[in-house]
Amino acid sequence: MARSRELVLALLAILAITGLYAGYAQAVSVPAASGLIGHSLGIVGFLMMLMTETLYSLRKRAMRRPRGSMRSWLQFHIFTGLVGSYLVVLHSAWSFNGLAGALTVMTIVVVGSGFVGRYIYTAVPRTADGVVIEAQELQGQLDLVRREMAMAQGAGAAIPSGTARHQDRRANRRLREIERQMAALRWARRVLATWHAIHIPLGMALFVMAFVHIGAAVHYATLLR
Amino acid sequence: MRRPLGCLTFSALIAAVLVVLAIVVAAAATGNGIFSPGRLSSVAHGGAVGGVASHAELEGRCEACHAPALSGERMGDRCLACHTTVTNEIASGGGLHGRLAASAATCRDCHTDHRGATAALTLADPRVFPHEQTGYSLAAHSLSGRGVGVGCRECHPASPVSYSAPTCVGCHQGLDAPYMTAHLAAFGSACLNCHDGVDSYGKTFTHATYPLTGGHEKTECGACHKQATTLAVLRATSTECVTCHAAKDIHQGRLGSNCAECHSPAGWTGATINHDRTRFALVGRHVGVLCESCHVERHWTGIGTTCSSCHAKDDPHRGQFTGDCAACHAATGWKDVTFDHAKTGFALTAGHAKPACAACHAGGRYVATPTTCNACHAKDDAHSGSFGKDCASCHKTTTWTDATFDHSRTQFKLTGAHAGVTCQKCHIGGLFKGTPTACSSCHAKPSSHTSAFAGSCSTCHSTKAWKPATFNHNQTHFKLTGAHVGAACQKCHTSSHFTDASTACSSCHAKPSSHGSNFTGSCSTCHSTKAWKPASYNGPHTFPQRHGGAGGVCSKCHPSSWTSYSCARCHSNKSMIDKHKGRSGFSLTTCANANCHPTGGGD
Repeated sequence: MARSRELVLALLAILAITGLYAGYAQAVSVPAASGLIGHSLGIVGFLMMLMTETLYSLRKRAMRRPRGSMRSWLQFHIFTGLVGSYLVVLHSAWSFNGLAGALTVMTIVVVGSGFVGRYIYTAVPRTADGVVIEAQELQGQLDLVRREMAMAQGAGAAIPSGTARHQDRRANRRLREIERQMAALRWARRVLATWHAIHIPLGMALFVMAFVHIGAAVHYATLLR
Repeated sequence: MRRPLGCLTFSALIAAVLVVLAIVVAAAATGNGIFSPGRLSSVAHGGAVGGVASHAELEGRCEACHAPALSGERMGDRCLACHTTVTNEIASGGGLHGRLAASAATCRDCHTDHRGATAALTLADPRVFPHEQTGYSLAAHSLSGRGVGVGCRECHPASPVSYSAPTCVGCHQGLDAPYMTAHLAAFGSACLNCHDGVDSYGKTFTHATYPLTGGHEKTECGACHKQATTLAVLRATSTECVTCHAAKDIHQGRLGSNCAECHSPAGWTGATINHDRTRFALVGRHVGVLCESCHVERHWTGIGTTCSSCHAKDDPHRGQFTGDCAACHAATGWKDVTFDHAKTGFALTAGHAKPACAACHAGGRYVATPTTCNACHAKDDAHSGSFGKDCASCHKTTTWTDATFDHSRTQFKLTGAHAGVTCQKCHIGGLFKGTPTACSSCHAKPSSHTSAFAGSCSTCHSTKAWKPATFNHNQTHFKLTGAHVGAACQKCHTSSHFTDASTACSSCHAKPSSHGSNFTGSCSTCHSTKAWKPASYNGPHTFPQRHGGAGGVCSKCHPSSWTSYSCARCHSNKSMIDKHKGRSGFSLTTCANANCHPTGGGD
């Protein structure tokens, strides 16, 4: 539960928003994209998506004066990514025409991509701080375990005492575990690289389309009123 | 795996560029159609507007509705450029858009597009639509919701901008058919002529301008508002009672048109009238009298306000008085009489004020009662008619004895000593009329006056006193002039008989001795009554009195005697002798003889 708190919060927020949206649609009508509510949904959703795209990335690169833990920012990233995109979808008023329609579809695709990527990411071992454990560190741990095993075998290789056997079994378990992590890390890094190669251009395409959409809306619906 | 630029990876930048290119290509290919938020409406209303049957024909021609940015032109301007009908409505203030005070800036408040081919172009929210601006409020027709109210289509089955009266009638017939039938018969079917959606003018209508009370409460509207098919006519319905009730006026118009003066809406019966508001306020015994006593046969007008209108038969004066009874009688009762007798010209003063009216107005006769004293007081005449009938010439109305007589009105004015004597001195035995005016009738001639004074006493005496007596001697043949005036009477009238005196000068004046026998004529030949001297001769004098410069001086020629003359005082004897040589009988004492120089002249 604690590990997926952001998902729960995002789900609650989406449910709440859905309730309000459905209530308004029932009482009045589906809020048009160009109306006050529709525009508000789009603007707030877009800002949240913009935060999704930028804040977590900036935090990852804020080495000198980091604010907050990476985990918290990841949770916020996931929360805004889900809720913001949901608001943007609601902004569409279920109309998928032209660029706006493509943008809506692209939003769904990118969010889906991000959601999937999130689980690829969690497969990567990390410290309590969530920092990716580099292969060198894992290799160091593996070497340390192996030295411990060698020392244990040298001290009582013929007839290992009870303590020595116990240490040996523990070292072997640790060795197998780290070897599994290493194997998993290698797989995860490959998949993650693949996902990044797709997700990041999609995200960029999404935001380019979003800015064009915003510009067109301002142009036609505001300047040309 | 570290990405210093975050998302700005190479692949991301490539993707961005590709997306931009794709958008540009798509926009060019679709005429910016990719920016359209939705399909334009293909719903066509009637004929072509702006050259197209529907907005759908404008797909890909964004500029048809969207004016260039920063051009100052609004999209609403382009709306009105095509929708000229709306433009005309706005300009005229009529129609739906005119009444809504729409403008190019407000088109978007109600209308939109890009909502699909079949979507409505009007998005006006019926719940906030200012329907009252169309001239009809929805105050009494709340829009449907939760099972109450009406929907737009119920009144506007064909179009939201059209309306027909039968729609109202059809619905309201269902609500109250009998009422609607009567209502339509009374007011017609042009509902909006009167109804604005606020006032139903029905049961809840406040008839404040003319509160409906009493019998008016249950009256049908159409009973008063006849043929009222517009609100203006409805409001112009007269509030005069007679407008509706004239036909049933039991007074047949005799009482005018203001029924409310006596009647109230509570009912025709039980009318009350404030008689004070008429020209005949009810006072005294008139209060409480049955209306019909005066308003015979219920004639309420034209009764007349004079007493005789009702009391002619009660007149005890038998029509003597043509004026109003109220001139004498008060409304409190016939006996309450106040009469200003002075108005008759015979003011009742002093002794006349107290007697009863009948003392003079015997037999109830008031009109033409004579105003002479004698008419009433003939029997009281102490003078037995000797003074005629005008008592007031001497007597006042106070008492008989308070009499005054202006004797100057008679032929014998009382002057001098006569003014103070008592009447009886002359009017002996109470006889006044015919009393002689001769002095002798009262005054006996004194013995000193012999028969010579046969004339009137007043010839010499005045009424002031017997003495002194005065006589105008100029009335006689001997006027007193000069020195005679002022001379005592006895100087000439030496006897007691004044009439025997001679008028000859010598009868009083003895001839002086100086006159000798030369002056035998009348004294007045030379003397005047002024004085004896100077005397002047006025008699015959054939010889010129101014001869030789005498200038009227007698002694020039008469140095010694008036009967002789001497010419020698001027004409010397010697010269005259020389001059009369040869003439016989020459003498300077006879020069004036007729034979010589009778007029003084000649040779």
